[in-house]
Amino acid sequence: MVATQQTQPLISLKNVSKSFPGIQALNDISLDIFPGEIHAVLGENGAGKSTLMKILSGIVTKDSGEIFLQGKKVEFNNPREAIDAGVSLVQQELSLIPSLSIAENIFLGRWPQKGLSIDWNKINQDTQELLQRFDVKENPQTLVEKLSVAEQQLIEILKASFRPTTKVLLLDEPTSALSEEEVKRLFGLLEEIKKENKAIIFISHKIGEALQLADRITILRDGKKVITVPKQNTSEEDVIFYMTGKRFGENESQVTEEKIGREIILSLRNFSSDEYVKDIELDIYRGEILAIFGLMGSGRTTLARALFGLCKTEGEILLEGKKVSFSSPVEAIESGIGYIPEDRREGLVYELPVFANITLATFQRMSRRGILDVNWEYTAASKMIGELQIKTPNIFREVLYLSGGNQQKVLLARWLVSNPRILIMDEPTRGIDVGAKFEIRSLVKNLAHTGIAVLFITSEPLEALEMGDRILVMRNGRMVKIIDNPQETTKSDLLALASGIRRKE
Amino acid sequence: MEVKDSFLKDSKDSSIFSFTSFLKDIFLRGGSLIGLIGLSVAFALLSPHFFTLSNWLNIFRQVSVVIILASAQTMVIISSGIDLSVGSLLALGGSLAAVAMCYWGWSLFAGALLGVLVAGLAGWGSGAVIAKGKVPDFIATLGMLGAVRGIALLITDGLPVPSYLTATALTGYLPSGLIWMGSGSVGGFPVPMIIAVGVVILTWFILSRTTFGRSLYAVGGNREAARTSGINVDRVKVMVYALSGLYCGLGGLVLVGRMNSANALMAEGIELQTIAAVVIGGTNLSGGRGTVFGTLVGAILMGVLANGLNLLNVQPFWQRVINGLLIIVVVVFDQWRRRLMKV
Repeated sequence: MVATQQTQPLISLKNVSKSFPGIQALNDISLDIFPGEIHAVLGENGAGKSTLMKILSGIVTKDSGEIFLQGKKVEFNNPREAIDAGVSLVQQELSLIPSLSIAENIFLGRWPQKGLSIDWNKINQDTQELLQRFDVKENPQTLVEKLSVAEQQLIEILKASFRPTTKVLLLDEPTSALSEEEVKRLFGLLEEIKKENKAIIFISHKIGEALQLADRITILRDGKKVITVPKQNTSEEDVIFYMTGKRFGENESQVTEEKIGREIILSLRNFSSDEYVKDIELDIYRGEILAIFGLMGSGRTTLARALFGLCKTEGEILLEGKKVSFSSPVEAIESGIGYIPEDRREGLVYELPVFANITLATFQRMSRRGILDVNWEYTAASKMIGELQIKTPNIFREVLYLSGGNQQKVLLARWLVSNPRILIMDEPTRGIDVGAKFEIRSLVKNLAHTGIAVLFITSEPLEALEMGDRILVMRNGRMVKIIDNPQETTKSDLLALASGIRRKE
Repeated sequence: MEVKDSFLKDSKDSSIFSFTSFLKDIFLRGGSLIGLIGLSVAFALLSPHFFTLSNWLNIFRQVSVVIILASAQTMVIISSGIDLSVGSLLALGGSLAAVAMCYWGWSLFAGALLGVLVAGLAGWGSGAVIAKGKVPDFIATLGMLGAVRGIALLITDGLPVPSYLTATALTGYLPSGLIWMGSGSVGGFPVPMIIAVGVVILTWFILSRTTFGRSLYAVGGNREAARTSGINVDRVKVMVYALSGLYCGLGGLVLVGRMNSANALMAEGIELQTIAAVVIGGTNLSGGRGTVFGTLVGAILMGVLANGLNLLNVQPFWQRVINGLLIIVVVVFDQWRRRLMKV
């Protein structure tokens, strides 16, 4: 089904450009997508992927250039016009209505009428057929709120794909919240939809997945198109090269450092939280990076939040041998624990300037009788911007205007200023570009060398292997294993442990 | 070399940024100042009485109470709350102070302190309900608006203080110090105006130089981020409403002094004026961003509007219509501004 040049493109862009104040987001992009094609758009953060999707779906309007749908020129001024013309976007944030059933959601806005009432039989029957065809074992009348995130996402995609008008389906990071198993199922479903001669365009941070699923791949860098290639003509290394313009070494030179005395800083005994995380027995050493690896729902985030006083806990926490308990982050911070949440949006105050975000966890401590020490704040923030190479015009720029990687560095800077003994980082490299990922990883390693214990939560097995001095694998709220020698472990070992599948020898 | 290059590039980027954002800021945030100047010029052309010193002092005397309350409202709205009870708290504080001074024989200082503290206590109550009871700000202060006004009526028996009953008995006058607070002048400047300016400066100091002020922005901008950075969100919430109550008590003293009498129904509907002043002044209704100087400009703009319409002999009924519509227009503007600021 790979499209050939003879067919007419389903949707094409000709010289599309878009700029925002101070940024050229898209620069002269031309692209043809054919019916029955799955097309991946890859690029670093800020490369213009999202802007491209937003233009195609009518959320933002282009500055110049043309879009053709089946050869006809179209203008989308709002999402409604795009949907009516046949272009549907499935965003990262789901838009289903939780209190309605699967069937009601799929037919939302076009419920068939029977007399004055809705034709419930037809809705449920049609939905049943659809679910059967795509092997979703749910009753059409099940309320959406009862479904898992992954199932909700499948329903969302079905809903968008089977609007009668839909010809082009746009997916924004469709796999970011899914486990490996769920990703497989999603891919199966997309292959089915493809057979209907529709086109699917998706953006992703995961290069491996894109190579697996897509027929062709387009790579953007700094708002410009680098190349469009069929997948069989490229490799993961090539794609990274196109995205960054650099070739990275396979592995950064691994400096094996001596552990600083193997001094226990934090112990958990019979620790549980929120009736989900159970039976945690763990010692954490000064100056080590403990990678915590698990799939969605493994309890890794709950464990982190519990250690930071954000969830109810049972059992014992021993900090340097002394029993402590945290009922709020205030207490955890006073005891020298820092926490960077999984979602940057939970950590940053976007409308405050860079310096105030950097000092957010310390400005109270550094004040005298409630009066801010602004000079100290400016100095500390300027120093951090230099050390972490945060790209911002000045310390007074609102964090809102920084790129994802730089925002993540601001969060890291907040805790560097605060100087904790233990730093918990939940997926610190998720959703940022490849270059910033490398920088953050090496910053974290340096941090551990200064004696701070780092709990590094990740859902990427390779990252766990690279970062962890030890790796804790979690599943269903429980510890599966602590791996003391990550060098002797492989990616598939980790995945097998985390998913509970026994490996075939 | 490379460092220098990147520095140049950055500064160039930032100048692109600051030029467009400069224009945008003038339009979106400084719009109220432009509006104020434009309105003043228009009224000055339409009425010969407008641009006189005595008229301006009159405007300031009239808006001083709104400025005091709107300063409190600024802090509350920055923390992503809203205080609908400011008018009622003002009436409670002013009435209680007047009753204490006129009927209970309390001194000016003791009576004033009682009024301000009780209003502060009522504000603290709203804050506690909001923070601990997880009640929406809007609902908690709406309830307070009704309940506190009722308490003020109970305290005064629904009569003005001092009332005609006591006035004829030649006892129970308001102390001259209180009347001075509302009607006196120092070096040609009305005392209420001096108090209002003092309150604005105090509020500026709180917002920009204290940990409490920084916490207000953090809580209003992103509650979860504030919490995970070690800010006690509940305490900040309770404190801002308590502080708002104290401001309202002070506003009550000034208003009683200006009117020469307290009345449980005074300053009804003033909450809408304060919210309008805050929003005209460029503070986001959703919190996290704003300044008290903007609010000052917003309050003066509304005072100028009322004054100018009076001078032009516009029927008071029409003024109500115009004031009401102004609030809607301003909130629409706020929504539109927020959309534009996002890009």
